Amino acid sequence: MRAPARAEGAIGWLGPTAAAARLGARRAGAQPGGLAFAAVFYLMVTSVLAGLWATAADAAGGDIVGYSAVALVWYIAASESAVLALPQRLIEDVGIDIDDGIEAELLRPTPLIVVRLAAEVGGMLPRLGACVAVGVVLARIIGGPAPDPAALAIAFPSLLLAVTVNLAAQYAFAGAAFWLRDVRSAWFLYQKLVFVLGGMLLPLEVLPRWLELTAKALPFSAMAYAPARLASGHLEPELLVIQSGWLAAAIVGTAAVYRAGERHQIRTGA
Amino acid sequence: MTIDRHEPTPAIVAEGLRRTFHRGRGADRQVVEAVVGIDLVVGRGERVAFIGPNGAGKSTSIKMLTGILHPTAGSAAVLGHVPWTDRRRLTRRIGTLFGQRSQLWSELAPRSSFEMLAAIFGIGRRRLGDRIEELVELLDLGELIDQPVRTQSLGQRMRCELAATMLHEPDLLFLDEPTIGLDLLAKQRFREVLVRLNDELGVTVFLTSHDVADVEHVADRAVVVNHGRIIADAPVDDLRRSVLAVKRVRVGIEHGHAADPVLDLGLPGVLAEPISPSLVRFEVDTNQTPIRRVLDTVLAAVPVADLSVVDPPLEHVIADIYEQPR
Repeated sequence: MRAPARAEGAIGWLGPTAAAARLGARRAGAQPGGLAFAAVFYLMVTSVLAGLWATAADAAGGDIVGYSAVALVWYIAASESAVLALPQRLIEDVGIDIDDGIEAELLRPTPLIVVRLAAEVGGMLPRLGACVAVGVVLARIIGGPAPDPAALAIAFPSLLLAVTVNLAAQYAFAGAAFWLRDVRSAWFLYQKLVFVLGGMLLPLEVLPRWLELTAKALPFSAMAYAPARLASGHLEPELLVIQSGWLAAAIVGTAAVYRAGERHQIRTGA
Repeated sequence: MTIDRHEPTPAIVAEGLRRTFHRGRGADRQVVEAVVGIDLVVGRGERVAFIGPNGAGKSTSIKMLTGILHPTAGSAAVLGHVPWTDRRRLTRRIGTLFGQRSQLWSELAPRSSFEMLAAIFGIGRRRLGDRIEELVELLDLGELIDQPVRTQSLGQRMRCELAATMLHEPDLLFLDEPTIGLDLLAKQRFREVLVRLNDELGVTVFLTSHDVADVEHVADRAVVVNHGRIIADAPVDDLRRSVLAVKRVRVGIEHGHAADPVLDLGLPGVLAEPISPSLVRFEVDTNQTPIRRVLDTVLAAVPVADLSVVDPPLEHVIADIYEQPR
């Protein structure tokens, strides 16, 4: 007997979304070596950067653009967690998948982007968990207690939002492969935008005023700056609202890119 | 389930299906006619091999029939659905396997991927358990179902891929070059499984291949395509009696012995061609002389170091079809 047709549309996608997320998490868990590597890489990068900023703050009299040495350590611990929880060459990998052929995924009742994003979110959770666990301990050792425990508490959901916005945006970038075929170099450019305009390497307040305002108006700031700003002791819950807005925009935009991309592929066969 | 070959809605109906591609830009822009005009009707429960050499238009046709490529002209209905306008609904009724592109997650056991596919196709937990048991038995998966895919051989993985394709109980299977890259034993096993799926579940099988043996062992009808056109459409038994009856035998003769005694075996339908002083190739028309008789005669005539029997390449089969009177 055939399986009954399920409800189409967003409601009907809930089951596949949950299943894909579970499978993504299980896949990440099945690669403990990958998790350990991510944690060690995070530890190395964060120790160096946090140490660097703490030294700079001490040299500047204990404060850089309103961030104390301790705040800067927590800032870097959070911003690095947000970015390193995702595979570094995701855009390249997804672009290659699209270029190689995604016929099997097109031949399913649920859109491929729904299943893929859900699986990536599921797979990201163990990595984010590992980075956060290492980050909290490291920041405590290098910097000391978090400047504001209440702000730190809301930094955790903010981290989740940050990684999800980043994920959806990377998929949207990678979707260019439907037209360009080769997006291998795009990940490099994208990463640099997140590093600088997203505030991964430095608080956005360090930038010239016009660039700071520009960066804060762009989605990249929702990917690293927002959780880092919170973790560094700035109790600004409105950042979560801004991130949620960017998440909605990123999901709608990504869905539109893949809908158009699939249509293009079916029309042209390219 | 019994096979009803007279079901009112055929599995596939295609009329004048055509697809052109544009390649290059500016002055170098070319129009490539991948499929020139395919007319085809496939009944429910048939096993059809859609064969042709590389670039013949097989994959383009299968993409149009599954709805992931819009035709330039023509019409098609697959299980009553127009594939390219009704793709999502059609996906619930067809299973597809594109070469070795995997739909299983390599780090996990197939059972895990099946859970996700079950959620996608709306298969409940209890039904999934039963379905997995059925497929494990039918496709002889045994413990493979719980072994990470990356630890499996290609042949094992392809059987798991087929199980994934069958999970939602499709009426029609589209298989695009499923045996490519498999070793001989794995190919044989995969073909047996396809026949069993068709016999026991009545699933219509539409298979593309450029391996003549796939046609002989799986299909009951062969549609031969070349340069985007159907050049032959016949029951495999008819083809077997004509072009598929030809086999090639390569005989390596032990060092120090001459090939002369086997260059004229005196058997009807057997042509010998010396490749080197110690290697001879025979073209054997098995309608006139059985392979066994050729081998016995050769083994009696010279000391044999090496021997193999192979199908002629598909290009030769197609050339023979071209040469046959219509």
